[in-house]
Amino acid sequence: MRSWPRVPLILIGAVVLAALIGPLLSPYSSIVPSGASHLPPFSAGHPLGTDELGLDIATRLLAGARTSLLAAAVVTVISAIGGLLLGTLAGFTGGFLDTVLMRVTDLFLALPATIVAMAVAAGLGPSMTSSMIAITVVWWPLYARLVRGEVRRVAGSLHVEAARMSGTRGWRLVLRHVLPSVLPTVAITASLDIGGVIVTVAALSFVGLGAPAPAPELGLMASAGLQYVVNSWWIPVLPGLAVGLLSLLFTYAGDGLRAALRHRGA
Amino acid sequence: MTGTNADRPGTAGNRPHRDHPALEIAGLSIRYTSRTPAVLAVDDVTLTVAAGQCLGLVGESGSGKSTIGLAVQGLLTREPQVEASGTVVVDGTGLDVTAEAGWAGVRGHRVTTVFQDPMASLDPTMTVGRMLTRVTGSREESLRWLGDVEIREPATVLRAYPHQLSGGMRQRVMIALALARGPALLVADEPTTALDVSVQAQILRLLTRERERLGCGVLFITHDLGVARAMCDEVAVLRHGRVVESGTAGGVLSEPEGAYTKKLVASRITVITDRERPVGLPEPTVIAAMRETGRAPEDLGERWEGGSLSWAEFEKERTEVQGGHTLELAGVTKSFRSGGLFGGARKQVLTGIDLRIERHRSVALVGESGSGKSTILRIVAGLETADAGDVYVDRTQGSGVQVVFQDAGASLTPWRTVGQLLTERLDNATDLDREQKRSRVREALERVALDPALADARPGQLSGGQKQRVAIARAVVVPPALLLCDEPTSALDVSVASSVLNLLNLLRYDLGLSLLFVTHDLAAARIVADRVDVISAGRIVERVPAASLSGAMTSDYGRRLLDAVLA
Repeated sequence: MRSWPRVPLILIGAVVLAALIGPLLSPYSSIVPSGASHLPPFSAGHPLGTDELGLDIATRLLAGARTSLLAAAVVTVISAIGGLLLGTLAGFTGGFLDTVLMRVTDLFLALPATIVAMAVAAGLGPSMTSSMIAITVVWWPLYARLVRGEVRRVAGSLHVEAARMSGTRGWRLVLRHVLPSVLPTVAITASLDIGGVIVTVAALSFVGLGAPAPAPELGLMASAGLQYVVNSWWIPVLPGLAVGLLSLLFTYAGDGLRAALRHRGA
Repeated sequence: MTGTNADRPGTAGNRPHRDHPALEIAGLSIRYTSRTPAVLAVDDVTLTVAAGQCLGLVGESGSGKSTIGLAVQGLLTREPQVEASGTVVVDGTGLDVTAEAGWAGVRGHRVTTVFQDPMASLDPTMTVGRMLTRVTGSREESLRWLGDVEIREPATVLRAYPHQLSGGMRQRVMIALALARGPALLVADEPTTALDVSVQAQILRLLTRERERLGCGVLFITHDLGVARAMCDEVAVLRHGRVVESGTAGGVLSEPEGAYTKKLVASRITVITDRERPVGLPEPTVIAAMRETGRAPEDLGERWEGGSLSWAEFEKERTEVQGGHTLELAGVTKSFRSGGLFGGARKQVLTGIDLRIERHRSVALVGESGSGKSTILRIVAGLETADAGDVYVDRTQGSGVQVVFQDAGASLTPWRTVGQLLTERLDNATDLDREQKRSRVREALERVALDPALADARPGQLSGGQKQRVAIARAVVVPPALLLCDEPTSALDVSVASSVLNLLNLLRYDLGLSLLFVTHDLAAARIVADRVDVISAGRIVERVPAASLSGAMTSDYGRRLLDAVLA
């Protein structure tokens, strides 16, 4: 773990911590106006200014980051676990089950993910939960594909053949001799994906399929504030920047994780 | 990379006159600083290759022989973390092995190389003709060179790409490329290790003839004492980067003086090695494993040393009825589909194989690459199924069939500990309690001469020989009805290989294991087998008792294999 890059790790720690406990520390509520509207950044008491309703933007950004992170974590973990289960099943059993499962994932992968997610979210009615479900629906096939390929690669290697010769079969063989070499790949992919999921969550709420106003959600804040961009640029721009920053940080951390695991594996 | 037109060799008359040695190395030390602590790969080495002479650099893996080979070719100059001291003089030119200056015009011109793997050093995008003509300057010259390296249809080979040639042909092309530049020094780094034995003998003869014709010096790097003796005028034995013994090849290899050279020479197995006794010099770990059997005599070490320790002493008294077969193959046939997206041809790999192994007996299946020997092993192991024929394994004498693979490192799951791997086998085949399992694991490790403390090690922490022993321990921790070994010693250094053969023999006599030993090495086969079956092109061509191998071998193919084993 010595090659883990220290700076992004500290940054991520700080951002996650701020998102989790920040709203508690802030003197303001994220949904109750706390001062004059359209206050620019660096105003007294409002370091990032206030929006068109007089809500404190710093407080809302922290709350929005929390929502985004939780949503991204839930979507990524569920997709990765689902993909891991189905991919392992397909890759290890092979044959008919493999064909069926992989054609289903092909079907999902062939459709444009964001549009399918929009359709699902619209069908379920706009809410944070439905946009999470929608994204999970389009996200798991990527993992299933990835895991199946890796499982097939590892299952063909000599050490698995040798373990089979020594009498280990079935799920024990998979758990002990196959999955430990697949998991790091899944962990790396998932950590690189969190940034993407954050952006997608924001995109869905930007088009109005996430939590309804006045929920502190970054995409929603950007879209609702868009009409004030000329006179009060900070109202839509700051939430947009926050989305960018979060996604960048997690992608960077994923890269670090990949480097660290590769270093360990070498 | 265009060849200089001056100084073209080979054409009689203008052979460059050489009045200085091809290579002089004095006090050379090379240190790799990329690792901490720094590794001293070469330690104060002094040696000379006279013009037209062949010097053998003999050593086991990690002895520094390849580092010396790289250094004299100027291939360490771009390595950032290498420190060197001492002098290297190639064909009269003093050079710094860590600096690029001076190497142009030497590397690839006055020093050329034949590597172990010709595929990696030939350009896959160029035909042999293009590569060779760049060096020779004309098609006629190229054809003549291919003729010189005994390629039968030079015109066809000239148009071929490297991947279309066999391993032996590629190595011939590589030799032609290396010699056509008219080097003062040819570095041959394990040039025949990857080749079948019969091809190896031809390549060695070719190298010797061309060296005498062209008068270039040869630095011959090898781990194989037999090859060194057949090829070299002088040898230098390397260990841990130091020359521990040097002199004429005949002298050093028949009457070694140093303890290490003695051990190397004693570990070498030929077709006349005594197969009734342990091979090589006594080794404490193997002796400890022998004591584990409880049948070892008191003065074990001395008797081994004196040559009076016989395997028969470890033979278990057997009460059960003799006779019966552990393995019976009858008319086994196998073909694989080869190439082609649409249909493709089927390649016949095995044709009508009949093979029987009597209870407590050991059979070696000997053949060259592509003969189908490994396919038989995989069918017996149940890893492939035969197209036709019967496979019968008598499972009453032990727990199924176990395999020891050639690449032991890859056959051990890297993230499981040795103890876990062995316990897993016990879990699957027995219902012992935890304490009993632990003691069985310890016994199994002791029996293959490993420290029981290694149970907590992962495969990555073990040496090649240790990995192979762990693989054997896993295979015998529950004694199998039949043990299959797929070239278990061919990737190991000679001294390690001989102790693995000793351990297999100990298991064979002590546990009464039936053994099928697949190998290309007739000498090793003779040591562990009661009978040697020779396989060629998917058919068993001859079956000979191992005890009278050289006398009994009658088939042409068998005689050819036998002649190819270097004395």
